[in-house]
Formats: sequence, structure tokens, C-alpha cells
Amino acid sequence: MSNNQKETKNYPNKGKSLPVEKSIKDTVFNIFKKALEENIFDALLIPAKVPDTDAYSWILLQDESLFDIADPLPPVMTVQGGRALSSFSKNGELGLKIAALLRPCEARAVIELFKLHQVDLDNMTLITIDCPGAMPLADYMNDPKKIADSFKKISEKWEISESLRPACQNCHRFSLMDGTGPDLHIGLLGENNKVTLIANSPEGNDLLEKLGFESKDSLDKWKTEKEKLVKEKTKKRESFLKEWQEKTKNPDGFFNELNKCINCHNCMNACPICYCQQCYFDSQMINFKPEIYLKKSREKGALRFPLNTMLFHIGRMSHMVLSCVACGACEDACPVSIPVGRLFSMVGDKTQKQFDYVPGLNREDPLPLQIFKEDEFCEVETPNECEEKATEEVK
Amino acid sequence: MEKKFKPNIVGFLCNWCSYAGADLAGSSKTDVDSSLSVIRVMCSSRVNSNLVLSALLWGSDGVLVAGCHPGDCHYEKGNYYARRRFALLKKIAEVLNLEPDRIQLSWISASEGKRYAEVVNKFAEDISKLGPNPLTSNPKV
Repeated sequence: MSNNQKETKNYPNKGKSLPVEKSIKDTVFNIFKKALEENIFDALLIPAKVPDTDAYSWILLQDESLFDIADPLPPVMTVQGGRALSSFSKNGELGLKIAALLRPCEARAVIELFKLHQVDLDNMTLITIDCPGAMPLADYMNDPKKIADSFKKISEKWEISESLRPACQNCHRFSLMDGTGPDLHIGLLGENNKVTLIANSPEGNDLLEKLGFESKDSLDKWKTEKEKLVKEKTKKRESFLKEWQEKTKNPDGFFNELNKCINCHNCMNACPICYCQQCYFDSQMINFKPEIYLKKSREKGALRFPLNTMLFHIGRMSHMVLSCVACGACEDACPVSIPVGRLFSMVGDKTQKQFDYVPGLNREDPLPLQIFKEDEFCEVETPNECEEKATEEVK
Repeated sequence: MEKKFKPNIVGFLCNWCSYAGADLAGSSKTDVDSSLSVIRVMCSSRVNSNLVLSALLWGSDGVLVAGCHPGDCHYEKGNYYARRRFALLKKIAEVLNLEPDRIQLSWISASEGKRYAEVVNKFAEDISKLGPNPLTSNPKV
């Protein structure tokens, strides 16, 4: 497989380990402070806790004193990083060198948005960090202190806790993957009290060089620890996929989950991949003349409102599911607790495999619906052209 | 006596081939099943998955998308894109168990009036066997 070839070619073997003196946060911030001081980059996009509140959002940091409120791994994912990055960089021509510290799922969304021309990566350094997950937004809002405390415990132990967001519990891509995703990765796993910087692109190498770091340290310990956790979480993910396939064995299984939908379109607004300025489902395209509704209600006995909820979900699925990075932002945003992230992630798993595509893995891999081969998918054609081709060959 | 079920099928036909194929079938007086309502589109790749889903959720029993044979697209490659999109939609229907057999993709050229009739008649027969689309009467939809 072509993917495997890329793996061995791209995968970094050495990194730079730094001792943790005060805290992980402190060590990571010292690197960024140095980079800002020496103008290696001009600004840093990073999550931050809004002073005097429990709210987390993103800041494009240029003033070093604001590191006090920044947090590389907040307990919740309020706004998906891909969305934050796209909101200021989609028109390009930034003129500033920017680094963005993202969770791996956020960086994957950025790569997908890059392919959709919704972010400018020209002057952008993508930095990811080993991610222990995040807590459900609704839980956090109910009791910020308690949830932040339990997140601290969970993240220290890298526990696959039931109190994490479902998307995070089932996430096997929480670390650096073997592809051309981020420029630099910050490894937290492996050796205790050490942070490992791993350059994953020429730009990443360049950044480490400018910082005066030499990638000479072995990555073995980080790799072993990471792969152990990947294995464990892959197992968890597989059982989740199985469980949800069982639940949707009957179409009503899917409808039952989505019947709670109040058609607020929060899932779409929170989704990093859904970038359309005017969504088809917010447009007048899906409205009919009033008499059609009366006719439908007569035929059916009754018509259910809000209209078009199933059309919205299945339609949105058919638009973006191949790029779904399973970040769970949709599920966090749902006011009526529909497991929409899990449903999309389950369908994403099957459809992405169909096109042999992993969203956010490689910058070079084109989006599946933007390319084609002349000879493929004959099985979806009727009459079945595969059979015809096979008989032709026999002749 | 029970009334025989006559399906309601929507057909998105490419202007440059399948639509002309349908025309040929008509002008050569070939018998074509009348359950298909034809919507002319400029290319099979113009068919957004929403159009297909909308039809299925709002009362049709089957949806046919028909375009030019691979290599013969009026716009060179539209049908290849259409095929990928269709494959995705079919997969989604498969995963959610939403009767993927109710949607069909066929290649019919402008000269294939006979093939047009065969494809439509066969599809109408298959859909008749499947019966009414459960989505249209499902109160949960």
C-alpha cells in the first residue's frame, strides 16, 4: 500500500527530549516564549481560559504576559481549533508567521480545511500535542471546578475514563500519526517528567534548529508507550463501532436517535468541516409550496415538524463524512444529547475505508470526491458492469 | 381484489445521453414503464446527494440516476465524479440499512433507446417487488 511506503519514509526517528522542571505547561510555554522572543514566529494560536470566568476560547497570542491564561490542553474543547484557525486565515496573505498549538483531531481538521481551501498554511506551523481527551462540554458547564479536577486526574494517568467525551474515549488518533500532518509534535507519553519534541516536516526541523535544539534523542520510549495506548484505544473503538452497527441494524435505530433533533443545526455550526457560507439545509431549496405539506400530511396521516431533520442529517453526512475527523464537536454542541458524533464517526469509518482515505493524515492525499479513476466502482453500476467486463475477458 | 402497487420513481437523466435515449425509446415506440418521472439534468454529476435523499424522504419509492457511459461524458469527466458520489451515497444507505437497492446508477447513451427501456422496466419491476418505500410512511422520518 502506498500509505505504508509513506510511513517508513516520513516517520521521524529522533526527537528532542526536554526535562520538566515546574510543569509540563511551563516547559512547553518556555519553548514558545523563546520562539516569540527570537521572532521565529510572530504569533501563537492557543487555547486560553478567559480571566474571571470558566470559559475557554482561542487566542492569537503575541503578548507574552498572556501565557498566564493560556492552556495547551484545556479540560474541554469549546471551539474546534480547525474552525478557529480557518476563521482568520481562510483569505490567505497573513503576512505573519503563525504557529498553532492544536489537539491532533483539530490538526486533522485543519488539513481537511486546507484541501478545501479554507485555511492558509503558507506561513503556518502546525504543532500538535499528545492528547488525553476532553470532558463533555455540558458536564463542564454544570460544575466547572469538579470536572476540571477530574480531568486533571484522568489526563495525568492517561486513563480511558467513562467520563471523557465519547469521541475521546473511542479515539485512536490522539497522537502523531504516520503522515504529513503537523510540522511539530509534542510528545507527553513515555518518559516521566520529560517532554519530547518531534519534527515531522522540514519546517518542523527548521523550527527546532532555530530554537537551538538537536533532534538526537531516541523516541523509543515515547513510541512504545504511544503504541500501547493506540492498541488499547483501537480495541475500544472497534467495540464501539460494533455496538453502534448493531444499534442501527434496523433503520429505526438510526431514526430513534435522531428523533430528538430540534433542527438547531448546532452540529453543523460546530463542525470544523462544514464550511459552506450558505448551507443547503438553511436555504430555501428544501422548502415546498404549502399545499405539498397538506397533501403529505393527508397521505401520511400526519406530518412531523420540524421538517427535514432526517434529510439534514443524512444529507450533511453525504457532504462531509469522508472528511469527518471524529473530533466530537457536533456531539458536544447538541443541546438534546443526540450521539451525532458517534453516528457520523461510525458511518465515517465505513465510507472512508471504501475510498481508502484517512482524513487529515497526509496533506498530499486529495479529497476522494475530487478525484476519480476510470476503472472503479463498477459494482455500483446497473446493469452491473463488473459482470460484463468479466465475461468479456473470458471471451 | 387488492390494487397492484405502482411505484413512484424519480429519474435524473443526463441531457446529453440518457434523456436523448429516453426520447429515442419514445419515438421508436418502445414500451417503457410509466412509473418513472423524468427530471432532466445537464450532467449526472449535477445530481447532489440531497436531491436523491429528498426524493426518497418525500415520497418516491426509487431513484434512478442515469448518465453517459464512462469516457463519453459531454463534459469529459462528470460521470466519473457522479459515480464516486453515488458510491458514497450507496455506502451510507448500506451502513444505515436504508434499503440501498432503491437507488440506482445506470449508463445509457443517446442511441440506446432499447437499453433505456430495459433499464427502466427492470428497475420499476425491482422496486415493485420491494414494495412501497417504508420511509414515506414512517412517522419517525
